[in-house]
Amino acid sequence: MEDLDHLIICRHCQTLQKKVTLKENEVAKCSECGEILYKNASMVFHKTLALSIAALILFILINIFPIMEVIIAGQKNELTILQMVSRLFNEGFIVVGSIVVVILFIAPLMLLLFFIIIGILSHFKVGKNIVRKLLILVVALRNWVMLDVFFISILVALVKLFGYAKIIFDVSFYALIFFVALDIFTLKNIKPIELWNYYFEVYENEKN
Amino acid sequence: MKFTKMKKIDTEKLISCPYCEAVNIDEGKSIYCRRCKTKITNTQESNFHTAWAMVITAMIFYIIANIYPILIFDKFGHPNGNTIIGGVIALWEEGEYPIAVIIFTASVFIPLLKFILIIYILINYKKPQKGSKKIDQAKLYHFTELIGPWSMIDVFVVAILVGVVHVHSIQIKAGIGATAFVLMVFFTMLSTLSIDVRLLKESKDAA
Repeated sequence: MEDLDHLIICRHCQTLQKKVTLKENEVAKCSECGEILYKNASMVFHKTLALSIAALILFILINIFPIMEVIIAGQKNELTILQMVSRLFNEGFIVVGSIVVVILFIAPLMLLLFFIIIGILSHFKVGKNIVRKLLILVVALRNWVMLDVFFISILVALVKLFGYAKIIFDVSFYALIFFVALDIFTLKNIKPIELWNYYFEVYENEKN
Repeated sequence: MKFTKMKKIDTEKLISCPYCEAVNIDEGKSIYCRRCKTKITNTQESNFHTAWAMVITAMIFYIIANIYPILIFDKFGHPNGNTIIGGVIALWEEGEYPIAVIIFTASVFIPLLKFILIIYILINYKKPQKGSKKIDQAKLYHFTELIGPWSMIDVFVVAILVGVVHVHSIQIKAGIGATAFVLMVFFTMLSTLSIDVRLLKESKDAA
């Protein structure tokens, strides 16, 4: 069975190949399709822990402060994600409201909390089974976090509003920019296999 | 750094775990991953049918989403429905060309492209077309996965406008089209997720 740990199947083209040991800053690429297989990912849980705490602070800011203030005909309306969802629910759009709240609020919050729990538990090398289950959830959840798409949507909505409304950007708008940057350049860049390799390294004491 | 390709002999029975990507030996119908202990189902037929069902459901919702208004402008008590295409045309006529293109791409073009790609991948799985390569299919699949979330733009725009425009004289409400559209995106994503990437390996072997 130990031999299997020296093998890797490319998740893009399913080519079976041997793993190699990487030095700092080296990247392993697939011999068939050129997709990045894994990076030298020592301490990856510490990285995700730090990034998730930063992202969580931004996420709390995004949800406390309004993203923007819109003044139409002298009336001021503030935009926050949860207020937006509650309006949808009030109007009876339960399907749209629930999917939006899952994508923009529940999924990112759970993802960040799970990364933080994984980071803390793995540091003390406890809770092997919890970390294993959380990792499976984390990999599945990553498909459903769409705050980057939401950011573009805000820009599109702005164009529609510019004609008849005065718009003032608030704290959350800038927090959202940083959150999306953090998400795209870091959390989305970490491959599932890097997380699992490190899990294996921490809990089973086997170096690949 | 490049890898050396393994010899074919001992590789036939190896499969990767869809959850943690550990390499496992395929011993029979259902096995448990040796690393993450998740059950790896090897009954690829069921996944295949799920993917078909999801994509057909999504296509029905796509048609509904295009017939009914996605957004209702209520100016001084006169409700005015806006369909997806209607919204794109209105934006184009107002001279907002970039936004019209973004909305058209995200709401009309990307869903259609996804349907075509998913159906192509599913047909190819049963009857591999001549000259279709495993790598091309894998690339198509991951492209489909990548563009998926971007069709949500229109739904978010509707949600933002509904949340923000709320005064006596002008009101914006969501329409039935929005519900159908969000369900369309949801089912297309489920369809993409239920396609087992390992199926693509089969099409090559059968070809």
